[in-house]
Formats: sequence, C-alpha cells, structure tokens
Amino acid sequence: MLQIDHLYKSYGKFQAVSNLTLHIPPGDLFGFVGPNGAGKTTTIRMVCGLMLPDGGNIIINGMNALTQQKEIKKQIGYVPDFFGVYDNLKVREYMDFYGSMYRMNSNEIERIADDLLELVNLSDKKEAFVDTLSRGMKQRLCVARALIHNPALLILDEPNSGLDPRARVEMKELLQNLRSMGKTIVISSHILSELSEMCNSIGIMDHGNLVTAGRIEDVMEGVFGNNQLIITLEEGRDTATRIVNEHAGVRVDSVGEHEIKLSHNMTKQEIAKMIGTMIAEGVVVTGFHKQEGDLETLFMRVTEN
Amino acid sequence: MYLNPIVKKDIKVQSRSMKICWGVFAYELILALVFFLAMSVIQSSSRYSASNIYSAIVWLYPTLAVTQLIILGMVVPIRTASSISGEKERQTFDIMMTTSMSPFSVVMGKVMTAVVQSMFFVVASMPVMALPFIIGGMSWAYLFWFLAIALLVAFFSASIGILCSSLCRKSIGAVIMSYVFYLLFFLGTAIPPVVYGVVRENMRYNLPSVPRAYDMYGPNAFLSLLLNPAVYLTEYFVRIMADDSVVDSLAGNMTGITSGITSPRGPIVLASSGNRWMILSTILFIGVSLLFLWIASKRINPIKGRRKKR
Repeated sequence: MLQIDHLYKSYGKFQAVSNLTLHIPPGDLFGFVGPNGAGKTTTIRMVCGLMLPDGGNIIINGMNALTQQKEIKKQIGYVPDFFGVYDNLKVREYMDFYGSMYRMNSNEIERIADDLLELVNLSDKKEAFVDTLSRGMKQRLCVARALIHNPALLILDEPNSGLDPRARVEMKELLQNLRSMGKTIVISSHILSELSEMCNSIGIMDHGNLVTAGRIEDVMEGVFGNNQLIITLEEGRDTATRIVNEHAGVRVDSVGEHEIKLSHNMTKQEIAKMIGTMIAEGVVVTGFHKQEGDLETLFMRVTEN
Repeated sequence: MYLNPIVKKDIKVQSRSMKICWGVFAYELILALVFFLAMSVIQSSSRYSASNIYSAIVWLYPTLAVTQLIILGMVVPIRTASSISGEKERQTFDIMMTTSMSPFSVVMGKVMTAVVQSMFFVVASMPVMALPFIIGGMSWAYLFWFLAIALLVAFFSASIGILCSSLCRKSIGAVIMSYVFYLLFFLGTAIPPVVYGVVRENMRYNLPSVPRAYDMYGPNAFLSLLLNPAVYLTEYFVRIMADDSVVDSLAGNMTGITSGITSPRGPIVLASSGNRWMILSTILFIGVSLLFLWIASKRINPIKGRRKKR
C-alpha cells in the first residue's frame, strides 16, 4: 500500500529524514513512533504531498506520489496534528465543503457524510456549528472528513494529542473499526501504550532514521529476544536457583524473593522438565511465563543512543 | 453546474457573520455622504449659472462611480491579502492542499469570493447610482459599463491581494505589500514617460535637434501607462462625460502624431487612439491579474520547486 524508498529531507544543515525505507502492506494499522524531532511529521507531510523530498520515492497504491499528485490525493485521507475549523459552518456543510473539493456530487456527499457521521458518532451533531464541538468531536469529525472520498490510506498525525481519556478511547475504537473495514492506517503518536493496543505494526524513528519497523511481535522479538522466562515461587528459592544454574545455556538474570528471571535457549520440553525437577525437589512453583516486552521498553531501548 | 467549493463555502460563512452587514452599511454611508456633498455642490453651482440642476446631476455618475472604485480598490486587497495567510493562520491550509483541488483553483476560489462580495456592495449602491440615469437622463448603457469596470477593478485588486497573500506569511504584511503594488501601478508606470519627457527636453536644449530615432521610438515609453489604473479610469470617464480622450490629447501633444513632425514607430502605434488604448489596457489588466494568480498558485503549491540532487 505505502512504499517509501530511500527518502531524504533536510532543512538547511539539519537532516530531518535520512535514507528512510519503509513498506506498509494493505490493511495494516501502522504506528509511527519516535521522539520529538525524529522526522515523523516530516515523513507524513512528504507522503501527503505537503512537502517535496530531497531524494527518494514514495509509492502509494502503485502510484508515484511525486509524479502522480492528482491521483495520489484521491488515495490519501490526512488528519493533521493541529487543525482549525471555520466559524459559522455546520457539520453537514463542513462535510459538503470537503466532499465538493473532491468533485463529488451533492447526493453522493450527503449519503457518504451521513454514513461517516454515524461511524464517528456525530449523527446528532449534523446541524451543529463546527466551532461549537468539543476537541474530541472535532477530531472525530476531522477523521470523517478525511474519509469522505473513500481513500485507501488514512494518515493521522498525533490524533490523540489534547484529547481527554474518553475521547482517546473513542478514537481508538474508531480506528480499530476502520481497520476492520480494510483501511490502511498510518498513525503517529507519542502514546505508546495506545499504539501497542491498536497497531499491528510499528516503525520507530530517531534522528531522521528508521531504527526498526515491522509487525509488533517481530520487532519485540528482534529487540528482546524470545527467551526470557520468569518463574514465580513460594518456597525453595536457593534450590530453584541451583537447578537453573545446572542447565547449560541458561543464565540467571535476577533473583527476587519470589521470582527468578532467566535467559535461556531451551526448548519447551526442556523448560517443562526443569520445572518438573524443581517441583520434585520440593520447590513450591506458583507459576512461570515468558517475559513479554512492552512498547515503551522497546522504544526506550532502541532510542537510547 | 460546478461552483468552486471555496466560493460557495466562503460566501456562506461570511454571509452568516455580521461583518458583511456592517460592511454594506459603511459602504452605503460613505456613498450617502458623497452624494449629499455632490448635491450641495451641484445646487450651489447651478444657483449662479444658467445650467439647470437636472443636467448637472449627471456629474453624480463619475463622482459616485469613482468613490466606489476607490473603496473597492482599497477594500478588496485587504480581503484577499488575508485569505491564504488566513487559512494558514487558521491551520486549514494543509488540509485544503491534500484535497483534489489544484492550487490554481484554490487561488481562483479566493479571488472569486472577493469579486462576488464586492459585487454585493456595488449592487447595493444601485439605487443611488441610478439617480443620474433617471433624473440626469444618462444612457443606461453606462450603468452596465460601470458594472464591468467595477468587476475589472475588483478582479485586479483581488489578484494583487492574493499574490501578496502567497508571498507573505502574515496577513498584515500581505495587506501592506498590496498597497505597495498599487503604488507601483499608479506611480511606477508613470516613470518611463516622465523619463522620456525629461530626456527629450534635455536633448532639445543641449543638442542641435532631437535625434529622429528617439522621437520615433521614444514614445513607446508611454506604453507603460497602459497599466496605469488612473489613466485607464480617467480615459473612461473623460470619454463619457466630455466626449473627449485623454490618450488622444496625450498622443497628440507628446509624440507628435498629430503635428506630423515625426511619426512614432513601434507598438505605441497600436495604442495611439483612445479606443484601442482602452481595449489594450483592459486586456493587459486581465492578463496581469491572471499572471498574478498563476504566480500565487505556484507559490502556495507545497511541492513547488525542484528536488535537490542527491
């Protein structure tokens, strides 16, 4: 769906985006993560045709974003981080205005706008003036506006900034609904916990470079590895530690009062056998599980340098 | 019929605001003041002359028309100068640029909004403007000529405003720049003929005779006045009110066309009569306006320019 190849952009001497290569398949909900100034917004603006890259290529749905601007604009729905609204314009007229900018006829706009306003839960606000809506409602209206021409790719730049918790949850549900409808969505955000719940793939940018990208599970595994185990126990900590140390290819990371963290390269059967040995020798094992990495830890780890 | 969405939206939004009502009120108020002032002058002058007041009333036409054109010329650039920069300040510009509308359509939409709005004002002035036609017995055709001229002035002023709006980040800067552009058109276009005249006078005193080539091709300096709004409007009103032509007089006096000493050559020949001058000047004003719109559309295009070599 979105293919970015060797993208470069600089502002004077500052390299905002450097050799960015990224492929996002259709139907993905892609989270674009990075600290401030990492180059996320610059990348998004280049993809949306709001900025010319210094080098590289952007292909959207098989079309070159730099040479086929007119066609590309029909493929993209863009929700910027900051957006204003027009005073004295009603929600219905707001949708009509943007629909007619895509040369849609009034009947078509009305039909689609009704559906979209229902989707974003603003059907009852159709006759309300846009400037009277709350920030969360405006944000949802902006998403509906971005979908008026049925774009294949929806790009949201920090859509949750400034929203209250309820509005954030509503926005999350909306994006998940859209994904289930088959839309490809790119979302840039600082709220990592929400991204990890919503997105199925992520890309982390730092200092203009794409540090890592891919399916969340793959990225996690690549960074944390798939071999961290936490054993929780009630009694027999020393015995358990001894048994763990007796196994080749196992390293104890930390030992707590009721918890042992270890890194290993054992098979599932070997793990089961080791736990069995512990129980046989009187260790009261209350549980064991693979350590799951979270997006925040992942983000901190890959951007620590 | 496809109506530019920006015109549709802007007219709707602005019609809902009280600004437009106050604007029309202020416009009518100024016209009323000018009308009463003109009437008092007409009345007092007819008291001491043989001419009757009804024939003098035709002078309301240029008085009110010029007043309106001055107001339009002053107000329209303010509206358009803040249009693009206003969208940027309101943070709606980026969204607009990601839609299917081309930058030229955006610019055209803003200009057309300003032109349509200025026509609100002009139409609102019709009852007052109709007096010289009803009482003074002027031909109604002049009323439509006035509408056409007002349309041209609005379009030209709006294009200056939109160009400045695309050049400046801040609305206030764009408004100031628009007035600087006016100065260029009003005064800047007068510089070449003045230079021509001064040099010719110097030659007359310092040389045995003015070189023939200078007299033949020098008058082309007057062509710059084709883009002078003051000359254009003066020519229009002098033709209507006095059945004379400023351009013809100018041509006769300054270039020697009528004196037969030296016939000028070059493009000035094409514009050497009042009629041709008006036609050429109108075409040039429209052309310059379109050029300004084109430049503005290039300026607002976010992916303008060439990519750096990498």
